[in-house]
Amino acid sequence: MEPIQLPEWTALGPALLLAATAIALFVVDSISPRSTNRNVLAGIATTGSLAALGVAVWFSMAGVGATGVDGFGVIELFDGQFVVDQLALYFMIIVAVVTALVVVASYDYMAGHTYQAEYYSLVLLAATGMATMAAANSLVTIFIALELASLPSYALVSILKDNRGSVEAGLKYFLVGALSSAIFLYGISLVYGATGYLQLGNIASVIEAGDAAAYDGLLGLGILFLIGGIAFKTASVPFHFWAPEAYEGAPAPISAFLSSASKAAGFVIAFRVFTEAFPLEATAGVIGIDWTVAFVALAIVTMTVGNFAAATQDNVKRMLAYSSIGHAGYALIGLAGLSADGGELVMGAAMMHLLVYGFMNTGAFLFVALAEHWGVGRTFEDYNGLGRRAPVACFALAIFMFSLAGIPPLGGFWSKYFLFSSALEAGLLVVAAALVINSALSLYYYSRLVKAVWIEDPVLERDALTQPTGLYAAIVVAAVMTVVLLPGFGPVVDTALEAAAAIV
Amino acid sequence: MTVAIEYYVLLSMGLFCIGLFGVLTRRNALMFLMSVELLLNAANINLIAFAFYHGNLTGQVFALFAMALAAAEVAVGLGIILVLYRNFRDVDVTVPTTMRW
Amino acid sequence: MEGVFDYAPAIALFPLVAFVVVLAFGTYLPKKGALPGIIATGGSLLLSLVMAAAVASGEAYHETLYEWAAGDATSATGVEGVSFTFGLLIDPLAALMLVIVSLVAFLVHVFSLGYMNAEGETGLPRYYAGLGLFTFSMLAFVVADNLLMAFIFFELVGLCSFLLIGFWFRTKSAPSAAKKAFLVTRFGDYFFLIGVVAIAATFGTVAFAGDDSFVTAAETAIDGGDQLFGFDAQTWVTITGLLVLGGVIGKSAQFPLHTWLPDAMEGPTTVSALIHAATMVAAGVYLVARMFGYYALSPTTLAIIAFVGGFTALFAATMGVVKDDIKQVLAYSTISQYGYMMLGLGVGGYVAGVFHLMNHAFFKALLFLGAGAVIVIMHHEQDMWKMGGLKDKAPVTYYTFLAGALALAGIIPFSGFWSKDEILYDALIVGLEEPVIMAAYAMGLLAVFFTGFYTFRMVFLTFHGEPRSEVAEDPHPVGWSIKAPLLVLGVLAVVAGIANLAPVAKLAGVDITFLEHWLDGEYGAIEGLTYTAYGELLAYETSYIGSEQVTVLVAAGLSLLLAFSGAGLAWLLYNKPEPVAHTERLGSAGKVIEDNYYQDEYQVWLAEGLTLPLARAADRFDQTVIDGIVDGTSTASLFGSDRIRRLQTGIVTNYAALIVTGVIVLLLVLGFLGGWF
Repeated sequence: MEPIQLPEWTALGPALLLAATAIALFVVDSISPRSTNRNVLAGIATTGSLAALGVAVWFSMAGVGATGVDGFGVIELFDGQFVVDQLALYFMIIVAVVTALVVVASYDYMAGHTYQAEYYSLVLLAATGMATMAAANSLVTIFIALELASLPSYALVSILKDNRGSVEAGLKYFLVGALSSAIFLYGISLVYGATGYLQLGNIASVIEAGDAAAYDGLLGLGILFLIGGIAFKTASVPFHFWAPEAYEGAPAPISAFLSSASKAAGFVIAFRVFTEAFPLEATAGVIGIDWTVAFVALAIVTMTVGNFAAATQDNVKRMLAYSSIGHAGYALIGLAGLSADGGELVMGAAMMHLLVYGFMNTGAFLFVALAEHWGVGRTFEDYNGLGRRAPVACFALAIFMFSLAGIPPLGGFWSKYFLFSSALEAGLLVVAAALVINSALSLYYYSRLVKAVWIEDPVLERDALTQPTGLYAAIVVAAVMTVVLLPGFGPVVDTALEAAAAIV
Repeated sequence: MTVAIEYYVLLSMGLFCIGLFGVLTRRNALMFLMSVELLLNAANINLIAFAFYHGNLTGQVFALFAMALAAAEVAVGLGIILVLYRNFRDVDVTVPTTMRW
Repeated sequence: MEGVFDYAPAIALFPLVAFVVVLAFGTYLPKKGALPGIIATGGSLLLSLVMAAAVASGEAYHETLYEWAAGDATSATGVEGVSFTFGLLIDPLAALMLVIVSLVAFLVHVFSLGYMNAEGETGLPRYYAGLGLFTFSMLAFVVADNLLMAFIFFELVGLCSFLLIGFWFRTKSAPSAAKKAFLVTRFGDYFFLIGVVAIAATFGTVAFAGDDSFVTAAETAIDGGDQLFGFDAQTWVTITGLLVLGGVIGKSAQFPLHTWLPDAMEGPTTVSALIHAATMVAAGVYLVARMFGYYALSPTTLAIIAFVGGFTALFAATMGVVKDDIKQVLAYSTISQYGYMMLGLGVGGYVAGVFHLMNHAFFKALLFLGAGAVIVIMHHEQDMWKMGGLKDKAPVTYYTFLAGALALAGIIPFSGFWSKDEILYDALIVGLEEPVIMAAYAMGLLAVFFTGFYTFRMVFLTFHGEPRSEVAEDPHPVGWSIKAPLLVLGVLAVVAGIANLAPVAKLAGVDITFLEHWLDGEYGAIEGLTYTAYGELLAYETSYIGSEQVTVLVAAGLSLLLAFSGAGLAWLLYNKPEPVAHTERLGSAGKVIEDNYYQDEYQVWLAEGLTLPLARAADRFDQTVIDGIVDGTSTASLFGSDRIRRLQTGIVTNYAALIVTGVIVLLLVLGFLGGWF
């Protein structure tokens, strides 16, 4: 039906484009090693990430991976090691969006920094890893993609080499990450031991055939360890300990990147592994327990820990870090609700939340980046009265905060509302109640920030603040998207639900 | 004569526990890193043993990948430990606590 | 005339446009926005006449224009889904009301040129914008085809009333009167709203007309002997009908929610004429007529309507007797007259009630505008004891006012006589069978005497005798814009009775009851919304004294006798060069009446003595218990927050330990549940 039939491997286009951009940046760097020509470097990175975004959106619109009448069907590559379906494209879009925003914002944030080329290529490599995670369909590719996303992230967090906070953050992130990936790998080896396969579909068929019945403990432990690895990537309890420090110490755009894109990538592997490899009933038959129980517990504990810890923070960035943990808890509802009838609704709602979150949370962290760029300080008091000096950015901040808190009519309200209603429909009353209670609590600390910038009087008189183009552009775009995603929510809802329904 | 699979699993689990013990008790960043290596290699033993047991090569190939990734991880880790030493004059992982709570 | 109904929405929209224009550009327009209002209401009047002509040619219009909400709830009668719409219903009743409203609105706009503009008022754009919004809302209310839409515009006219009563917001009394009007009518509307919800929940529809109207549904439910919300259908219809009646009683100023109307006289007299005499106050009565089929199903509700109406008619008339302020007299007379209409509707006299509604709109608007003219003449003096002798100095005002007064007093052959007589006749023939109605009839009849008395007391004090103050000796001239509306309405007050000369028809046997034919759908009509259809639903028995003719004569004779004796008493007491007050002769009764039977006092007591302590108690409960819980929750949360963040010790080894612990805990729990060990 299409005039031009692209070769199959192009289905991975978004990830490949990100990789190519990273390589292009390496090339530039090797031609002029000490170059700090931000225009060229940021330009290449922006172009590459926007191209990846464009291709992902185009594919998604054109029906690549869609199973419907006018879709191309799910595309499997390399004997099923990769799979490009609606879910993959949906998360590639999230990753590409966040990458583009972060790259644009970094143009100003990283001004005067020595490692420009390295910075951008690391960001794009990590983005490549995340995009690959979205399409990975075997525990091998998942693990490799995960490491491809993680390793540059460690370096990015500690890229401010003379900043103790940045180094400390990098160290903690790295150590917890190394431990987690070891646990994840061990989990993979156990699942492999129990089933003899690493490809998700094959694992499922072995489990469904009942051939793994003898290895219930092995498989159960393996699944538990896999949950651990995923929990690390999504910053969920109990693997969340790195997050507050890493987000606080890292350069703010990187915090945005990690808390939005990296988290989303963690969720896509969670969605894929647990829906493709461990069919609920068959797995429950082997290990004797429904694995959604684990996610119910994790979701509740994660959102509670995140929100409660965020409530009394003084440092804005750290507050956002904890709130990010809380939001991971909300998104975990998507997995917790899979056992019920409306499972795909719950998961679709979680996916919507991750997309909206990609804008509002990135925007919030970029505002922190802006504040760091201005050098106004880090605490709530330091932010007092910024609204008078920088009304546009502060208005955007208010949008982000209210959207994160879930105030109608902003995007965050709708995604949370869908989560809530679908959780109710799936019968997860406790989870739904926890969602409401935590959202109510979150309003407290989010509005505290809005109050600080708009209502409080500044502690010290400050001079006029600069208006860095890149940061402003990224923040405004994120704010606009947070608002207009609502009118466009119909297509987003449809896409998310379709993508979810296709794999559940 | 073949060794029963259980022994391999026991060996790997033992190695895993030793690694975990190291992670929990060692304060030197390098020792921490080495303990993580033990954890990874415990997984590798599993993969190779199960590959043998199941009669397919997937596990063995994956073990190779895992080793390469472990090496990459160590490289990044060493870099971080280097800047850690530069900033804190120490490689004790319990020293950097400027950010907490 | 098929296509004319396509223009029906414009009737209401013209004034809305005027409202917007005046609001936006009023300050820059000549006459400060009077002209857009006059043009718009003139347009509405023309279109309304066209609609009436269309109905006369045998058409009617019932169309849903816009659906703004739909739900899938199932009603108590098993109707699935309910939708809320805006739609038009133009039948004989609506067409008649459209003409009345737009005519009075148009005349009041013209009159305002002389009353407001010529008197140099400030804030005129606000005034004309308010009039425009009011006219829009009122016309939209009239054409509403469902109860919810009617409710929406019912509220909107209430809002406009509030805004316009408070027009002179710098005075002390006007804002407080506006608030009072708003609150008292709102109190009634609250029941109305519950009634709307109850009807929607019961029947799954709020439409007035058609096969899926709530009236038809209620009839089916009663015939089928259904149980609705634990009541039998008849009782439930009574309950919901009474709830809606709450709004009617508030809006049409019936006892006990009548107290706002006399205070509402604080607004400009033009506003009193338009809103508080001819149209908005009529909205309540109109609503009863609009859903008369529903009330007809419940004899209890009808009896209550009749009794409240009769009582209010008498009650308000007695208070009108002792007032000194010309507008106050008119205000109480308005309450009293709406009591008659309620009485008429309550006894099943649908035509009589609507007939009186029409006549009253004309003659009461006339009287108010006449009073407005007097007030202009008197340099804004409203106390009748300071007037006198205006008869010769302002003849146009005098003769038109006299025409209105004769109509109000019910003197043959002026319009008010015909309609009031018909109401009393209808009440009498039912009352001969039903003692409650008889009591209502008796009160209505007695009120005729008081009506005659206070009306002519007002006329004599104002126009006759010698001037009793300096301004009365040197009156202010009035212009054509005041005289023209008075003349138009004066003519109508004299001749409008021709529309339905029922007694003549019955006595002489000629077929001249035009309004009855009109409302009975002999021209155009919507099925089920006709006098005959309502008559079939009514459960009243009627009987006559002797024959029908004798009964007609007895009824008419009695009311005329009382009207003349009231007027005559007023002539005796007050038609003198130097009249004196006779109030003290009433003794302690006079005191009670002057204080309006302490209605305000007991309502204030209800508010201050009962509601306020209750509110204080609720507030105390909120401040201590609720706030305590909320504050406690917040303190506990923040404390919990402080504990939870301490988990993050900053030492990475602890993190590793916690992670391992977490995994082990999960492992133990899941392993135990899953039986792995």
